[in-house]
Order: sequence, then C-alpha cells, then structure tokens
Amino acid sequence: MKYSKSLGLYIHVPFCVSMCYYCDFYSLGGRAAQMDGYVKAMCAHIRDYGALCGGYSVDTVYFGGGTPSFLGEKRLAKLLSEIGKRFSLSRNAEITVEANPDSMSPKLLKKLKKAGVNRLSVGIQSADDDELAMLGRVHTFAQAQDAVRRAQDAGFDNLSLDLMYGLPGQDTGRFLRSAEAVLALQPAHLSCYGLKLEPGTPMARDNPVLPDDDAQADLYLALCNRLCEAGFEHYEVSNWARPGRRSRHNSKYWDLSEYLGLGPGAHSYLGGRRFAFVRDLDAYCAGVTGAGGPIVFEEEDVPTMRRHGEYLMLRLRTRDGVQEETFQRLFSRDFAPYAAKLAPLAQHGLAAQELGRWHLTEQGFLVSNSIINEVLSADDPAEGPANLDL
Amino acid sequence: MKDQNKIRNFSIIAHIDHGKSTLADRLLEQCKAVSQREMEEQLLDNMDLERERGITIKARAVRMEYEADDGETYEMNLIDTPGHVDFNYEVSRSLAACEGALLVVDAAQGIEAQTLGNTYLAIEDNLEIVPVINKIDLPAADPKRVKQEIEDIIGIPAEDAPEISAKMGLNIHEVLERIVRDIPSPSGDPEAPLRALVFDSQYDPYRGVIVYMRLMDGRIAPGMKVKMMATGAEFQVIECGYMQPLGLAPTEGLSAGEVGYFSASIKNVADTRVGDTVTEAGRPTAEALPGYRKVQPMVYCGIYTEDGSKYPDLRDALEKLQLNDAALSFEPESSIALGFGFRCGFLGMLHMEIIQERLEREFDLDLVTTLPSVVYEIIKTDGTVVLCDNPHDYPDPVHIEEAREPFVNASIITPQEFVGNIMPMCQERRSIFKDMQYLDSTLVELHYEMPINEIIYDFFDALKARTKGYASLDYELSEYRKSDLVKVDMLLNGDQVDALSFIAHREKAYSRARRICEKLKENIPRQLFEVPVQAAIGGKVIARETVKAVRKDVLAKCYGGDITRKKKLLEKQKEGKKKMRTLGTVQIPTEAFMAVLKLDEE
Repeated sequence: MKYSKSLGLYIHVPFCVSMCYYCDFYSLGGRAAQMDGYVKAMCAHIRDYGALCGGYSVDTVYFGGGTPSFLGEKRLAKLLSEIGKRFSLSRNAEITVEANPDSMSPKLLKKLKKAGVNRLSVGIQSADDDELAMLGRVHTFAQAQDAVRRAQDAGFDNLSLDLMYGLPGQDTGRFLRSAEAVLALQPAHLSCYGLKLEPGTPMARDNPVLPDDDAQADLYLALCNRLCEAGFEHYEVSNWARPGRRSRHNSKYWDLSEYLGLGPGAHSYLGGRRFAFVRDLDAYCAGVTGAGGPIVFEEEDVPTMRRHGEYLMLRLRTRDGVQEETFQRLFSRDFAPYAAKLAPLAQHGLAAQELGRWHLTEQGFLVSNSIINEVLSADDPAEGPANLDL
Repeated sequence: MKDQNKIRNFSIIAHIDHGKSTLADRLLEQCKAVSQREMEEQLLDNMDLERERGITIKARAVRMEYEADDGETYEMNLIDTPGHVDFNYEVSRSLAACEGALLVVDAAQGIEAQTLGNTYLAIEDNLEIVPVINKIDLPAADPKRVKQEIEDIIGIPAEDAPEISAKMGLNIHEVLERIVRDIPSPSGDPEAPLRALVFDSQYDPYRGVIVYMRLMDGRIAPGMKVKMMATGAEFQVIECGYMQPLGLAPTEGLSAGEVGYFSASIKNVADTRVGDTVTEAGRPTAEALPGYRKVQPMVYCGIYTEDGSKYPDLRDALEKLQLNDAALSFEPESSIALGFGFRCGFLGMLHMEIIQERLEREFDLDLVTTLPSVVYEIIKTDGTVVLCDNPHDYPDPVHIEEAREPFVNASIITPQEFVGNIMPMCQERRSIFKDMQYLDSTLVELHYEMPINEIIYDFFDALKARTKGYASLDYELSEYRKSDLVKVDMLLNGDQVDALSFIAHREKAYSRARRICEKLKENIPRQLFEVPVQAAIGGKVIARETVKAVRKDVLAKCYGGDITRKKKLLEKQKEGKKKMRTLGTVQIPTEAFMAVLKLDEE
C-alpha cells in the first residue's frame, strides 16, 4: 500500500511530579493513580484515529507534556506499541519523548530505546540551582547532568535540551554561564524559550520583576551569537540544531503539515481543520471510551482563502522562511505585496532575502509578532477615509 | 401692567464652590417655585457638564413669587451668570439686566478671584451689592473675618450681611427679605417705545429661538413686530412670557422692569445676539442700550473624529451646538494625518474645552483636536493682507512682508502680595506692562498689553495657581502688532505631520518644539525601527528626539501546535493598531496628539 500523506502524531501526557511555577500546559501534579485509566483511554483513542488515518504514514511521534517520562517505561511502551499497531509508522520515524531529569532512570531509558524512541527532549531550563528552585523545578543542575549522561550512555545521541531566558534577576553573564554548562552536555538540539508570566500560574500570581524587553532582547541575541559559534543552526525563533538534527516533528507546525494531537488539551491540524481536545483528563477519558460527551472543545476550519496567511505567519518564524515561487505555486497568489512589506524591514536589518527566499534575521525573530502583522496587513483593504458626504 | 415697585431683578456672584447654585435652589424652594418632588439638586445648571464642573456655562433666568414680611408679593427674577473669563461679555450683559446682585462669600475661604472680577463688573454697572456669608455651618467658618474682608477689599458695608447655610437651608428667609429691602426696583418707562436687553437665547426645536430679555422700557406682547437693533432682523412675536424653573410660562404681555422671553419662529441664534436691543419695529426707541459687542472667536483649532467615518456625525453635532451658541464657528478642513474634520472658532480655551466635552458626551464622539491657534494677520510682499488661524495656511516666509499677532488689553486684579508672582509670569509671556493702580490699601489692578497667543494656553490657570485663586483676569482685544512669528513643522521619520504644525513667536518656538518632541517620544509606541521626531522651521531642524525601535515582541513557543492561540494573539495586536493613525511608515496613537495638546498643563 502506498501512503501519499505523512502525519505527525502528538501524544499529550498530562502528568507531572509537581507543577512548575511558570507552566500553563494542561497537567496534573502527581495523580499517578489515574495513569492507568489514561493509558487505557489513550489506547482506545489511538485505535479510533488509527482507523480514520488509514491514508497517512506517521513519520514523527512526539510525547509531550506534562512529563511523559513520569508515566513510566511500561505505560510509554504500551502506548508506543499501540501506535505501531494502529498507525502505519514509517521505518525511519522520529520518535521523541519529553523527559525530566528526575524521572530518567536507566531502566526507563533502556526500555524506551528498545521501544524505538530515538530522540529525547530534556527540560534542563537552567544550570543555576537558585533559578531552578525559583521555577519550581524538582531537580538540581547536577541531577540534570547525570540524567543526560545516563541517556547518552543508553545510546540516545539525538538529545534536545530546553533552556529558559528572561528569568528574574538574570543578566547576560549569568545566562551565558547556564548556556555554557548546557552546551558542555553536547546536545544535538536546543530549545530556548523566554519566560512569560501566563495568567493563572503561581509565578504570575507572585508577579516577579522580569528583565525588561531590552534586556531580554540582549539575552536572546547573546545566546544567538554563542550558539552560532558553537556550530548550531538557528532554524526557528526558539530552536537551534546541529546540522541534520532539526526537530522533524516541530517543523511540521511551521509549514502547514498535518499533525494529530491526542490527549487532553492536545491540538491538531488535520484535513484543513484545526481542533483541540478538552483540557480535562476525566472528561477526556470518559469521552474517548464512549461514556462521556463530546471532547473536541475548540474547532476551526481554515478556509483555503486564509491558509496563505497562516503559512506566512508560521514560515516567518523559521530560518527557511518563504520562497516566493513556492508561495505563489501553493496559493496561486502574488507574493509582491508581501515582499513590499518585507523590503523596508530588510533595510533595517530585520529581514533578508536571498534568491527569492525571504526570512527574518535574529533581530527580526525578536519582533516577529509585529513583523508578521505588518506583512499580513498587505491583505487589508486600502486605508483612508471611505466615501464621505462632504 | 406690572407694578415695578414689586419687581426685583438680581443675580448671584460667587466663586466656584461657594454655593451659588445651592443658594439658588433654596431661594426657589422658599418661594415655592418648585415642589419638593421636582427639586433636583442645582436646578439652574441643567446641563450635565455644568453640574459636574460646578460652573454655569449659559446664563439662566427664573422668576419666583415671594410673599414678603410686609405682606406684599414680589416678582423676583434671578438671572444666573456664567463664571469664566471666556464668558465675561455674557456676564456683563446678564448683570446689566439686573438692579442688584447677591455677593455670596464662603464663610471659611473668604473672597476669591471670580468674586472680585464679577463684583467689579457689577459695580461698574451700578448694581446694588448685597453681601451674603454662606457655609456658616462649616467648622472653619469665620463670618466676622470674612465680613471685614468684604469691607476692606470691596469697600461695601457688610456688617449686617446675612449669615446663612444654603446647604442646611439656614437663614434663607433673611436673604429674600434683604433682596426686597436693599435691591432697588426697576424704574423704566412702560409707555416709552420698547427697549429690551437680550441676555441669552436658546434654540428650541419646536418654537425656534427663544430670546431671553430684560425689558427696560415699554411693553411686548404676542403679535407685535419687533426689531433687533444690532443685527437689523425683524420678527413677529408669537409668544412671550416668563421663565419658571422647569419651563416657560406664556403670558399676555410683559412690561418695563420685567424679565422674560419671546419666541417668533426665529431660525438662527446668530440673529439674536447677546447684548442686542429689542425694540418695536413700528415705534423704535431712539437709542439702543449700551454695551453691545459682536462676539468674535479668539481661538481656533481643528476638530476631527477618531474614527474617520464619523465625520458626518461630527458635522451634525456641530450644527446642533451652533444653534445655541452664536460664538461657535466652524468650517470643513482636512488633514493628511487626521482626515476630514472642522476648523472651529471659540471665545477662549474654556469655551473650546466645553464644546469638545459636549461633542464627546452628548453626541458620543471620540475626538482628536489640533493645537489651538489665534488669528494672525499677515501682510504679504504683494501688499495683500491675509488672516490666518491655521498653521496649514501660513504663507511661505519669503512671501511675508510683515506678520502680526493680536494683542489684548488685560487687566488683572489681585491682592497686592501676589504682584511679585504675577509680574515675572507676564514678562515670560511677552507682555508689556502699562500701569498699576491701587484700588485700596491691599488690592491692586495691573494693566498689561499681552499677545493672546500667550494667554490662550494656560495663562488663566497659571494666574490662579500663583495667586491662590485670588487674582482675576479680564481682557479685551486691542490691536494687531508686528511680531516675529515662525511656523514650526513637526516631522516623524522625515514626514511632516500637518496636524501638529504650529505658529509661534520665534523666542518661544524652540522651547515649545522641544517639549512637543519629548511628548511625542513619550507617547509614540516603539515601532519596528527607530523613528526620528523632529521639529523644523523651514528646512532647519530645531529639535530632535528618537523613538527607539521595539526590541522584543515574540511568542516564544508555538504551544504544542496551538496555532489558534497564536493567531488570536496576533489578532489582538492588530486590533490595537487599528486605533492608531498611520502616517507614512509610522503609527501614532490618538493619545500622542492628545498629549501634545496637554503640553501646557504641566
């Protein structure tokens, strides 16, 4: 059988040892007793969607959370085997599991490796123990170092590490010391996110003073320079990879590829629709097993008309950016109006163009929200007063 | 015909907050002119704006019947007056319609600025002043000291002035008795040709303009053909009568000494100017009443709607306001920065603020206004003279032979101790000191020739601030004088913003330009790239600031493929941008324009 379309599969694991103070992903602190019910429901969901996605070949699988590693090796292996049974998983699929240093036992690592997991994303966040405590992380940096070495010993060479910037009291020196310590762990990939106070999180309630936007920009650019020196490619706003080590799964988010997200609070883009499942474990489990109500809580059709806007919005987050000809071919739409918006940005060093390919510079990444809105404003009706009765 | 001996016409002079409106309410209550049920606080100030600001914007009048202790019933006409230098002329006309005035002074605070200015206006008009000490219920009340102050400063006996509390309704009866006893009755000739003073007029959608007047001589009755002596307009009286607190009461006629109204299907308040004399068309009086002055706008500014599509609403609103306000003028103009709007003329800054507030409140419009300007006179090299109230129309300097700006004769009355504060303030404002007169041992009157340009922005407020509110200001247009004027343009990212240009004296241009640059820098949000903010005279840049580029505006994570959330965030940002005006490559929020206007309030 020939599979014409590829699919990314995301499995949301809503369990954590305890909630980090900054996190607003859907997760439950320490409800281990519910894990078995979750795995049962997830298997049912995988089965149902596997049947629906017969025409797809799954080439990336991503276990995100929460803390997937906290689920334990047995349950993770069970989910992976269910995926292997119900979906057609391509042979060289990228299979990533997010893991936290505190739950990366040698046993778990060994079992995951055996089950086919070939990429780990480890939440290090900082190499500074005071910062880790402030974030509500349950591990020290020394523990994180050990965990990473254990993973490497277990044969994981495709390691992604997470780092945060813009923490309270963080200056460039302190941040670069963290970055240096993380680089010393030899990751293949780095994700670096700015701390944002999300409403409803304990940290937002504490409302600490964060470095101002200028200082955050300086932190970001300092990291950009350091990682460039270290041979990393800055391929998306928050992501760096050694050559050939980009996250194939995350890349799908940025080029309108299709992905299916299963689990409470998981998002999908499938068949021209964006949808998400309810952010409530009990409701999700009940719904999946047929005992509850509908579980799709957010749904949006993306009309063909608007897809080009999403494409621009997403592609401009990447170093590959937008190729004029590709855009015109995909959407039968002239790129010139957008190029006209990008050209002045290029003059100010925020964007660049090579051989018809437009992308943002690192300075441009930093203000990508404003830039994307500016570029999309090319679609707005002409400005100026309408017919006035003068 | 009304026996004039039984008529009393009076107004109330008081500083803001000294209780004028409350006293008026109590008088109406005592005369049973309104029932308790109808009693709404401060009946006379019936615009919301007046109630809130505690000031009277338009003159009002009301008749009440008072049965005095002598057993007689008196017709009492209270003519309320506006209380700001912008409306000094209206005040003087209202006072001229009375024989006396109650001078209400706060028992704790004593005499203050407006009290003085208006009291002098009243004395000039030969009004009998009846002092009243209000707020004696306050713990800090010191009626004895305040009475002494009245005698010392104004020079009228105040020893037996009624001590009242309008708020508590205390001793109001005494005030009414004093009006009967001390204020002279009118003494016009009812048989002479009609001679009536217009002190206000108001547009009514059903009856046309209602003209409020005081009959000096003669009579008026429905059917009579009357003539406005200044405007020359003639009308046939349809209805006349007197004013009640809550409406008009038609009568068969009015006669000398009375205060009342007439309507005659008049379409435009411009035909019935305040201060004009009404006479009988067929039997005119020989001489018009003195003091008429055609009111001229002194200050101009551009008014625009924040939402360009509301332009027709703005036009309708201005037309409606103009029906009642002959001093308001407007004509269409357009600006690259602000779109379509109107160039509007006002008596002064307060008048301007009031119109703006009424447009925003009563017509629900969000406005953007330009810097106010006075009218300049430009003699061009080809000999022609142009009047210019809009920086946009200011001729190229190479075509200007001579530029002139309007000057006023200003008189400032102040307690002598503040003279040292006032003089440097006037000097800073390019004023020419004329003389100083002692009105008595403590009170001084200063005379200056001042450019109106220097008065319109903040002078009145600054004067009050530096004299603890004691000083009063009156001014009258005198003449145009040669002046070293320049037009200053503001540039954003090299593009001129027409709505921010202004005309100023060269000496003042630099500091003003610097401050506008600073204000714009503070109020223009950072853009994707640096935006130079410059002020220039001709091609020469005289001030510069830079709006720094935004450094960080990024959603770090695309939450597990949650694209919808990111789109929503971008949408929200876009909504915010809609409220801004795009000039070339720069986006300016309306607040930036507003902040520049508020420059002088600091």
